[in-house]
Order: sequence, then C-alpha cells, then structure tokens
Amino acid sequence: MLWENMLMAFSAIRVNKMRSFLTMLGIIIGIGSVISIVSIGDTMKSVFEGLYREIGVTQAYLMIGYWVDDRRQSDFFTLDDMARIKELFGDEIAYMDSNAYASADALYGRNKVKFSFDGIDYNYPDVQKINLVHGRFLNEGDILGRRKNVVMDTVSAQNLFGEENAVGKTFRTTLYGNVDEYTVVGIYRKEISPFQAMMMGANEEGGEAYVPYTLLTWPNDYFYAVRLFAADEAQMDELYQNIKIFVAKSKGRKPEDFRMNTVQDEMGSVNGMLGGMAMAVGGIAAISLLVGGIGIMNIMLVSVTERTREIGIRKSLGARTKDIMIQFLTESAIISACGGMIGTLLGGGLVMIGGSMMGITAVIRPGVVALAVGFSAVVGLFFGIYPASKAAKKDPIEALRYE
Amino acid sequence: MKSILGGLGRKKLPDYITDNISEDLIRLEDLVKVYDTGALKVLGLKRINLTIHRGEFVAIMGQSGSGKSTLMNILGCLDRPSMGHYYLDGVDVAAMDSDELSLIRNRKIGFVFQSFNLISRTSALKNVELPMTYARKNKKLREERARQLLARVGLGKRAEHMPNELSGGQRQRVAIARALANEPPLLLADEPTGNLDTAASVEIMELFSQLHKEGTTVVVVTHEEEIAAFTERIIRFRDGEVLSDSPNVPREPRGRDSAPDAEEGIELRDT
Repeated sequence: MLWENMLMAFSAIRVNKMRSFLTMLGIIIGIGSVISIVSIGDTMKSVFEGLYREIGVTQAYLMIGYWVDDRRQSDFFTLDDMARIKELFGDEIAYMDSNAYASADALYGRNKVKFSFDGIDYNYPDVQKINLVHGRFLNEGDILGRRKNVVMDTVSAQNLFGEENAVGKTFRTTLYGNVDEYTVVGIYRKEISPFQAMMMGANEEGGEAYVPYTLLTWPNDYFYAVRLFAADEAQMDELYQNIKIFVAKSKGRKPEDFRMNTVQDEMGSVNGMLGGMAMAVGGIAAISLLVGGIGIMNIMLVSVTERTREIGIRKSLGARTKDIMIQFLTESAIISACGGMIGTLLGGGLVMIGGSMMGITAVIRPGVVALAVGFSAVVGLFFGIYPASKAAKKDPIEALRYE
Repeated sequence: MKSILGGLGRKKLPDYITDNISEDLIRLEDLVKVYDTGALKVLGLKRINLTIHRGEFVAIMGQSGSGKSTLMNILGCLDRPSMGHYYLDGVDVAAMDSDELSLIRNRKIGFVFQSFNLISRTSALKNVELPMTYARKNKKLREERARQLLARVGLGKRAEHMPNELSGGQRQRVAIARALANEPPLLLADEPTGNLDTAASVEIMELFSQLHKEGTTVVVVTHEEEIAAFTERIIRFRDGEVLSDSPNVPREPRGRDSAPDAEEGIELRDT
C-alpha cells in the first residue's frame, strides 16, 4: 500500500511537473543552504585542523598568567630556567626554545627588505617539517657559538637576493642595536596551499629567516614565554602539567598562576567557534525550510481542492479516511524529500566545486546529508497534515458532485 | 462468496462484511431522510419501506427532486438516513461511521456513475484495480483480475489506455469492470447512460442484463423509460415517496452480431 501511494504520488508530481518543481524550490534552497553552510563549517574545521597539525599539535607556550597582578621579574624566564626544565624532563620534551623573534630591515646591496627573525634551536626540524632545498640547517655549533648564520625560505631569498639559491651570501641587519653581517647557510621551500595563502596572506615582499635563538636571547635576559614541543602527544597533558608545577615551585608561585597555552586548546576553541557559527547560520538557513514547508502546504491545499472529485471517487470505491490521508501525506513528503535530495546535491556540489577551486578537500558528512533529507521529509509530512486531513474529511457526496 | 470475501484482507474483517445471511439484499424500514438547511427542514424521503431481493434487476425512476438521488446515496452508503433502518445484506448500516461505510462500499457495492468517474491520467487497468487496492489485495492478483474484468467488458486490448483515450461507452465499461472488482453483491448505477448516445446506452444496458443473468443484483437509477425497460422491476418515486412498484418484462437484448464495437465484441464469459 505504501508503494502504491508512492507511485500515485510520483504520477501526481509528474502531471504537474512545473508546479511540483516550484513547490520544491523552497525546500531545495533551504536544504541546499543548510548543507552548504554546515559543510563549509566542517571543511573549515578540517582545514584548520590540518593547519594546526602543521604547526604541531604538541606545541605549547608556558608563561605567567595575565591574571597575576603582582608580577615580579622572577616570574619571567631565563636560559637557566630552560636548562633546569631540560635537565628534569629530558627526552619527554622534543624541543624547547625561548620563543624569541625580532624584525629588522635586511640590506643586500641596494636591496632593503623587511625581515622577521625567528630564534630557534638546531633540532627545530625534529618538530617542524622543513623542506631544505639548498645548503644546511642551523647546527648545534651555530647555536652554541652564536654564529650569525641564517636559514630562509626560497621566496625570502628571492626577495632579498634576487635568486633562490643564496647559500653563502651575506646581508646586513641590525638586531638589538648591533649592525652585523649574517650569512645564509640554508634555503628551504615553504609549501602552502592556495587556501593557506588566502588565509594568512602570501609573503610577497617581506622575508623570514631562522636564526640561532642564542642570538636573540642572552644569558641574563628575561623572556616572557618558553616554547615547548612534547615528545609524545598522548602524554603531553600530563607533561605540561608537571612542567607547570615545577616552574611554579621554582619561582615561588602556585601552578594556577602559570598559563600553558597549547595549540590543541586553541584548535579546540577555533573548532568550537566554527561549529557554533555553522550551527547559527545553518539554523537561520533552516528557517527557509519553514518557508518551503508553507509553500508545500499551500500547493497541497490547491491540489486537494482540484482533486476533490478524485477524492470522492476514491471514497466511493472504499477508501477510508486513513487511506486518503496517507495518500496526500505521502505526496507532500515525497515532494519535500525530492526537494531535499536536489538541495543536497546542489549544496554539496557547490561546496565541492568551491573546495576544489581553492585546493581543499570539502568535507560533507553523510550524517548531515541523511539528517537534511530526513528533515525535509518531516517538513513535508508536517505541512502536509492540514491539507491531507482536509482531503480525508471531505464528504463523498459533495466531493463526487464537485466540478 | 463468503470464502472469497473472508480471504481478502490481511486482518480479520468485521462480521458485517463476512456475514451473508439475508436473501433480502436491501431492506429499508421506515427510512426517512431530512435535509436540514438551517432555516427550514426539507423532507427528502418520507418513511420508505422497500425490499430488493438478491439477484433482482431493478430500475428506480423519478423526476429530479423525487428523492431518487437521495435514495441512491443512501443505498450506496454514501449518506446515512435520518431515521429508520437500512439493512444491506442483513446488516443495518444506518448507524455506521464513515470508515465502516467505506468498508461496506468497498466490499458490497459497485458504483456506476453518470459521468463515469474514472480517475484521470490513470490507466483503465489501474482504475479497475483501485477497489482491490483499497481491499488490500496483492498486486499480482489485482492485475490479473483487472485484466480479466476488462476482457469481460470487451476492453481487453485497452487496459493500458487512459480514460481520455476512450469513448464514452468504453469509459462506462471500464467503470463497470471497476464496479465488479471486489465481486460486490450489489451493482448500483446512477443514470449510467445519461452521458451516452443511444447505441452506447443500449450496449451498457445489455451488459447490465448479462451481469444480472449471471446473478448480480443490479439497481439502476434513471429517469428514462427506455433504460428502465431493460429491467425486471420498476420502482417510481415522487416527492420522496414510492409512487408505484411493479414488475416489468425486460426488453429483449439484441443479437451479438449487431454489437457496435465489432472489432472487439463484448465477450461475456462466466466467471
């Protein structure tokens, strides 16, 4: 019987192709926008997750809490603090530096390029993917000997030297008031997706270079934060908690006074924000489903009136109230579900095309699709109830007389 | 009959459907129909007492306003009497609710209307299947029987045609096939030839005669004497009352060779 009703519904839809399509349009647009918004949200999430993976999810920054009012100089860090942490936790920490950076103009011949210098340790490639194409990375000797050697990416080299392979070339820059000559020892290639470039801005004019952190942080300097990479992602929460306790104790503070900013937390909050935004906008889009549903109700009412005589005939042949009700409910549910399916294809297709244009893989969750199509059928059922019950309640004699 | 009806549905049917206890197929006792138009009450039928036996071929005649349409609606279980009793096949249907009446219409009554009332854009076959669909018969059985019935009314080759591709007479024959779908004991025809030309009218009435001879009870509501002439009993109505009720010697059906639809002929076979 259900099958019969579905066949009847399809033939009714076919008879009024244009009208059925226009009726579906509300649902198509509604479901299409819900699907695309939710999928854009999901895609953004996965893109950000990828970005954070690249940054390194085990990364964290330890610093004194901004909520601590009576900050003392001893709340900040020295190289001795770092040495003590390293001594105590050893291999559990994959990498650590003083989170030092500086910007200055780099001069080469008549070229002047604004550079930012990132102070790192020699084992930085252990925790960050660095695709070295020329020369070498900074080594332990560079760090310990405070050698004025740098490693930069191909674009920065191009900007400063006018060529990619600038190994052995020197430039002048002023760090902390000292004008010095720096030597390029290595060139690496940055691989960024078009989407990343869009989000972070392509580096077209400036430059970036890694320098030994010992050039930027001197033995008696106090610095604000320690950058850490845990060796084991599974153990990192525990490790970071222990480091916090140790550091707090050594500085005469409570562990709560220190802040451990982890990339993972940040990722969680960004994901939460994106999810919330997608939900909110998707919710607004869902209102258009309501409008689509009202459109279906409207057309079903017209259809019921037009088919009054058919209803009378069916009743005279033995159709019960329930039979007529189900017939029209099936029809409205199918119109709506068809709209939902077309909307899903449209929304999903748009996101996929957009994604492939930006060079990212669109994420369309099957659960979301099932939910959307199911929900559209429910919308059709709900808004079909009134017209269907109107049809079912028709008096057979009156209905048979209807012209 | 009982065994066939009893085996139709998946669920057990109520007794009023399965019981066939009465030789009096239709018995009206003090039947009254009052139309309440708000300001005034109109008496549609005034205390009708009437019995139609199983296997009769009856014409109900009268001018418009005579109450024959009202009676037709009540006999067809499309409407309920205001007072009195209507025993259809021994069961009082006067007090049934609308879904019970649907079931009665489905199993006990086959309708033939003046304007054919086929469902448009639906093939002859599907139209004939419809009462069986509402009787929850399975698809294979439905289609088989529908084809049989269409062949029986001479439309075996037109099963897939849409109503608008058929002539009036053909449409009415589809309607008759549909009326016979659930083997109802009562065939109720309301001005069945009203929209047909003379040749088609004769053809339809001959079909009714044939069905009557095979045992179906046929009640034809009409205002045309020529149509009533085919039946064996004529009941005349005037002003909501029975004016006369008399037997009639039916007009002789013509020979088969003069059938207008010579290409297919009207094959009437035993079921």
